[in-house]
Amino acid sequence: MDKVKLLLGAVAVSSVVIAAEKIILKKPPESLKRYYPPQSQKFEFLSNMYLMSTSFYAVNLNINEGNWDKALEWAEKLRDAYVKTSKMVPEWKEYFKPELAENFVKAVQSKDVDKVVQASKRLGRTCSKCHQENQIAVKLVFHFPSFEEIKLEDPVEFTELKTGDYMRKLSNSMKALRIYLEQGDTEKAQEAGINFVERARGLRAMCSKCHTEKISEEAILGKKYEDALTRIEEVLSGDNPSKEEIYKHLTLVGSACTKCHNVHLIPAMVQEAFAK
Amino acid sequence: MKLLLLFISALISGCERLEEVFVEEDLLQRPQAKRCADCHADIFREWEKSRHALAWKSEQFRAETENYAKLKCLSCHAPHQVDEGKKPVLRVEFREDGVSCVACHFKEETKSMHGPLKVWSPPHPSKQDLSYIRSSFCAGCHQETYKEWKLAKVQKTCQACHMPSLGKKDLIQKFPFYLFHLAKPRHSHEFPALKAGPEDVEVRLEGRKLILKNVGVPHNLPTADQGDPRLYLIAEVTYSDGRKRTVRKIFSPQTKTALPYMKPKAVLLPRGDIKEVRVRILRKLAWKKEKDLIKEVTLRTLSP
Repeated sequence: MDKVKLLLGAVAVSSVVIAAEKIILKKPPESLKRYYPPQSQKFEFLSNMYLMSTSFYAVNLNINEGNWDKALEWAEKLRDAYVKTSKMVPEWKEYFKPELAENFVKAVQSKDVDKVVQASKRLGRTCSKCHQENQIAVKLVFHFPSFEEIKLEDPVEFTELKTGDYMRKLSNSMKALRIYLEQGDTEKAQEAGINFVERARGLRAMCSKCHTEKISEEAILGKKYEDALTRIEEVLSGDNPSKEEIYKHLTLVGSACTKCHNVHLIPAMVQEAFAK
Repeated sequence: MKLLLLFISALISGCERLEEVFVEEDLLQRPQAKRCADCHADIFREWEKSRHALAWKSEQFRAETENYAKLKCLSCHAPHQVDEGKKPVLRVEFREDGVSCVACHFKEETKSMHGPLKVWSPPHPSKQDLSYIRSSFCAGCHQETYKEWKLAKVQKTCQACHMPSLGKKDLIQKFPFYLFHLAKPRHSHEFPALKAGPEDVEVRLEGRKLILKNVGVPHNLPTADQGDPRLYLIAEVTYSDGRKRTVRKIFSPQTKTALPYMKPKAVLLPRGDIKEVRVRILRKLAWKKEKDLIKEVTLRTLSP
């Protein structure tokens, strides 16, 4: 029973727990692009990761049930996937130790739990090292859409802008609205406010580039968002627009910005940094 | 004479068998569109000019889908089989043909070509299918436009505008077979996108409000499911004190600002004593860079 517990502990080593005061993101290697969209739809590298992870657990599961034959089959699958994966990204060759995968198979063949535990630990450490150094950056770069190619037409100036430039104009028109309201310059506040509302509405065109089902778009830029924009327009069109009323609705609009930024902004910033 | 009558009656009673003799098997194996042109040359030439023919090959589509990586966009651009009200699945073969002849006309269930007319067509079995004259036939892919059209509550179908009648014409051009067929009512397979005219958008000035109303197009203006066509409003406002201001606005399906049929939309103009407003409305199709002028009008505030 103790040995079984030991085995479970050893397998746990293979899953990544990052405990650090500082996390450094390394730019993922060029050759990894071959296994992710748009170059490939098959996610070959990721599929191998899942296969190895499942095989590792299958060995554990079968040994705990005393089924050494099945455990061996899975250990061989793990070794084969490990060796194959080691050749997929040449820049990461050093992370892989194929001889440790072979040792793992031999340990399972020996039906000696102690040997399996030791072999698991050694093999698992190679996985953990690579995951600790690369997994976050890879997820941020390859598991989130790129905004690089997305262009939006500014509804105020009718010019095509990159996402970042559009966001700056949107943000500046909101700041201008606040500034003119604070300064009591109603006419300029109205112009800036209308520009802000138009640009905020224009954002939908960006969502629909990927979110064809519209559900996520509605969750973030749904009725509350549209109502808030309409109210800002209405309040601004009055003779003495109430600052408080406008700020109240701007807060609602801002919460939509936050929701979207929480999902997309950090990956986009990381992607942009790596692209420079 | 008796022998001749016997021969003719044998021929008539064996007509079904006789049809089988003339069947060209490859036509039932989902051929490329150009194969259909062997007989339906005119229809093929029309289709070649259509957006349906470019649905897959369009550079715009390739770029927007990141080289066909956005899988959920693909099935309507190379459908396997178009059925009334059902989103199609992606075709395996000849995707470059886009929305091709067989995608719309060949049905797996009957292994025959379906269409709105009753026809005699020895090279392939044909079935008359009245779903082809209903708007719901287009609804599997043009879902949003179909919903907008239903809200418009008009009799005119999609086909009435986007497959305009060409009168009675031969369905096939292959010699000598066209001699055995009668001309049939034909509708254009160019599927024109059409352009709204000045009469389709009503514009009026009510105080500081510029009111726009789509009075001529029985779906939103502009319309699209995933495409991004736009309508541009440029309103140059002149005030009685000589000041000038320009208001610009975009109406588009993707920003949910397109003009619904018969529902007015108000654009608020900047404060001041408005003397006149010069209004220009332009449109840009999803796949084009250029803008076309739809309407230009100058509105004046009536003197009290």
